[in-house]
Amino acid sequence: MQEIYLAYTEKNMIDRNQIRNIDWILIGLLLLNSVIGIAIIYSCSYYLPGNYYLKQIFWIFLSLVALFIFISIDYNILVTYSFYLYIVFIALLAGILFFGKLTAGAKSWIKLPFFQIQPSELAKIVVILLLAHVFSEYRRNHLSWWTGFSSVAIIFLPVLLVALQPDLGTALTYIPILIASLILVGLKRRTLIFLLIFSLFLSVVGWNFFLKDYQKQRLTTLISPNKEPLGSGYHVIQSKIAIGSGGLLGKGYKKGTQSQLRFLPARHTDFIFSVIGEEFGFIGVIFSLFCYFLFLSRLFQSAIKSRDRAGVYIVFMVAMMICCQFFINVLMTIGLFPVTGVPLPLLSYGGSSLLTNYLAVALVLNVKMRRFVNV
Amino acid sequence: MKNKKIYEDLSSILRKTKNIHISVHIVFVVLVLFFWKIQILDHQKYWEKSEANRIREIILPPQRGLIRDRNGKILAKNVASFKASIIRENCKNFEESCQKIASLLNLEIDVLKERIDKYKSLPRFRPIVIKDNLTLKEDVARIESRQLELPELVIQAEPKRFYPYGTLAAHVIGYLQELSQREIEADEHKERRQGDQVGKTGIEKEYEAQLVGTEGQLIEIVDSLGRSKGEISRREPVPGQDVWLTLDFDLQKKAEELLEGKEGVIVVLDARTGEILTLASYPNFDPNKFINRFTPKEWLDLVNSPKFPLENRAIRGLYSPGSIFKPTLALGALDSSIITDKTRFFCSGSIKIYGHPFSCWFKPGHGAVNLYEAIQHSCNIYFYQLGKKMGIVEIARYAKLLAFGSKTGIDLPGEKEGLVPDPIWKRRVKNAPWYPGETISVSIGQGPILVTPLQVATHTAIIANKGSRITPHLFKGKTHFPKGREWQSHPGERNPLKIKNSSYEKVIRGMWKAVNEQGTGRAARIEGFNVCGKTGSTQLISTKGAEKLAQEKIEIKTHSWFTGFAPRENPKVIVTVLVEYGGMGGVTAAPLARDLFSLYRKKYDR
Repeated sequence: MQEIYLAYTEKNMIDRNQIRNIDWILIGLLLLNSVIGIAIIYSCSYYLPGNYYLKQIFWIFLSLVALFIFISIDYNILVTYSFYLYIVFIALLAGILFFGKLTAGAKSWIKLPFFQIQPSELAKIVVILLLAHVFSEYRRNHLSWWTGFSSVAIIFLPVLLVALQPDLGTALTYIPILIASLILVGLKRRTLIFLLIFSLFLSVVGWNFFLKDYQKQRLTTLISPNKEPLGSGYHVIQSKIAIGSGGLLGKGYKKGTQSQLRFLPARHTDFIFSVIGEEFGFIGVIFSLFCYFLFLSRLFQSAIKSRDRAGVYIVFMVAMMICCQFFINVLMTIGLFPVTGVPLPLLSYGGSSLLTNYLAVALVLNVKMRRFVNV
Repeated sequence: MKNKKIYEDLSSILRKTKNIHISVHIVFVVLVLFFWKIQILDHQKYWEKSEANRIREIILPPQRGLIRDRNGKILAKNVASFKASIIRENCKNFEESCQKIASLLNLEIDVLKERIDKYKSLPRFRPIVIKDNLTLKEDVARIESRQLELPELVIQAEPKRFYPYGTLAAHVIGYLQELSQREIEADEHKERRQGDQVGKTGIEKEYEAQLVGTEGQLIEIVDSLGRSKGEISRREPVPGQDVWLTLDFDLQKKAEELLEGKEGVIVVLDARTGEILTLASYPNFDPNKFINRFTPKEWLDLVNSPKFPLENRAIRGLYSPGSIFKPTLALGALDSSIITDKTRFFCSGSIKIYGHPFSCWFKPGHGAVNLYEAIQHSCNIYFYQLGKKMGIVEIARYAKLLAFGSKTGIDLPGEKEGLVPDPIWKRRVKNAPWYPGETISVSIGQGPILVTPLQVATHTAIIANKGSRITPHLFKGKTHFPKGREWQSHPGERNPLKIKNSSYEKVIRGMWKAVNEQGTGRAARIEGFNVCGKTGSTQLISTKGAEKLAQEKIEIKTHSWFTGFAPRENPKVIVTVLVEYGGMGGVTAAPLARDLFSLYRKKYDR
């Protein structure tokens, strides 16, 4: 208890060292990618009513404010109270399921006076904190049954509630967090590879031999609730056409025919990367991949700057969460991953996702700036 | 506790984060390779696809050329046709709009839904035609008044062929039908596509190339919902050329009125040029029906009708010529000096030749008749003798010389040749020898000889012109856009046959007498117009012959013929009339011819 008290008093006295230790480069990279997102959102939605890019700018400011508030609280306090936060969010998710209104085919929104928010996104932060809490005192080199079970259970509960909304895409983005924690806790590489191959095998066999066509159809429409009007695969076909037709240099800003003439669906959200490919070409793709790579590398490298085990877990889980979501989204635009409705972190339009990712980055900043505390 | 944290060994988990970080590098490299493949290596393929996505080609159909009669009267034109379509994308509630539309257009809701269901694979922005040939006053007005309420219901106009006089000259004009996939594959119409209307018979088919014009093309940018976002290029269609026919509207109309209720043919030719003024075949059909999307029943009724309304009898009907073959025989006999105009044969009403009895149509007999009287009264006995003297080979030679047994060369598709029999034909086709008795039948136009009414008209023109042959034709000229009208010159193939002028004059005298001196064709007489003509009735001559004809499934009832020209000197017009089952030629066919001669005279010979 004394420790908690100490940590709490420290929070109220942010010293100069901590402010000096804020990783401004990481914040810079975060903003760089967000600005790229705004530019692309503007290009493919300025002709639509709704001022999406202005809303996105508003969300970035809001998220930035939230980020700075968030880093002022010592992450150890957050970790300590994570269980209560977890309970609150599970209650919220369950509550939405029962009392929420259907929006775009899913009950995933809480309506606030000026905007609406998806607790399913924000719940990821809480899950990261709770997992860090569970594993922070865990020093064995391999996973015990009890820890394994509890970590899986922690993830499973929100995943189930989100999947029931039904929003399988968001549910899917929880999985990398679990995988990240299991990697760190010492799941043997052999086991991990075995599990991966086994699940891959199971899904391939199941898809090809046991599922009937209409079941597959149901599954694909379940996975992507924004049903495609012209048969399955329309999204992917149009996305690949957009990217491929961009060529080396692209068609030019605001000149992509696929996006401007609305052949590309969900172009300011899930398929924003296809717009980059079409309007800025291979050069643009390389540039934005590079910006993102710098951002992700900075996140991964932050692990070393952690003062304790919980910090490493937090940094690594955040990095893996954003990284996997990024890969899934980009692979989806070139047809190498099923269309699951996973947005591109930081770039895609959408407040909840943006806020969540900013808060996740805030956690990393939080860990980094407190590396010398208590020395 | 603090100390414990400071010295906590994190190196093992940090190593793991580092490994994963390195794998992330690799994934980025792989991603770059994927994009290299799609954007650089496959760029061309995707570029073409994106262009195809955004560019829409619209065919601008050309106006089909008009068909006019010789005085410019329009026989075939184009009118706007309205069709109603539904755009499903604009439906607020599909079920509800189906119900509203069904009651608005008097359609059964099930039929409507079935039709929409057939095209459900089309994109939702594409209109589906649910009713065509809307009436301008009722349907169109009714739909437009509710346009705001039903945005999913649209009216589109398309040019439609329209024949203002319906059945008039239907066999000459022909009709249009939608091109089928099979015909496109057969390569007949290379530049056309499925659903295009093409001429199937008549002038519409024969002059398809002149009438059709050149289609234009509009290339525009569209968005994913098919909405136009602007034109890229536009090439206007070139309208088809108007085709002017030699037909005379009034004569054609008169001829069809005269034939009403009968089955028959009337041909009116300009004797000097071969221009066809009238080509009427009855019963006829309404070519408009072929465009107004036929119901299968209507179509089958037309095709299977026992009276064959779709057949153009003038060029495809094969008939025994009967007595109108007699002038042919007379010309042959005079030319080969078998007889002179003074030679007489005695007609007692019947005669026995080669042991078979042959009779004259006039049972009491004509007495001793010379050539003029034989033609005037159409004496069979006289021509039996003539035929017997000439022999079948000579008869066939002269018949072929005088336009029988070969196509006249009219500019209509599907003309038939007819048949002029001779021993070689009999041997080849029937594998039997020629019987002398058959020569006797042929000499009065019976037996296996078959002619078309147009051949008879052409034949009559040769006699009227004293040997020069004309090619009957319908094409007078075309309006060459934008140069103006161009007449096709027909010098009238003056190609005199080597038959003496005097022989023609003698036969013509007989034909004049037949009409003007109480002969068989007297019903065609017009005071002061000097009509010359010959009647014919394809009658049975012997019971044996009847059996034989019945076996060969040739029509055995009496057809009624008249063919003639006027005036006697410098003939201008040929009229040929055939009425199936009409009875005696002089009674049924000749009065019809008279009406046409007199109308022609009133209009052209003042």
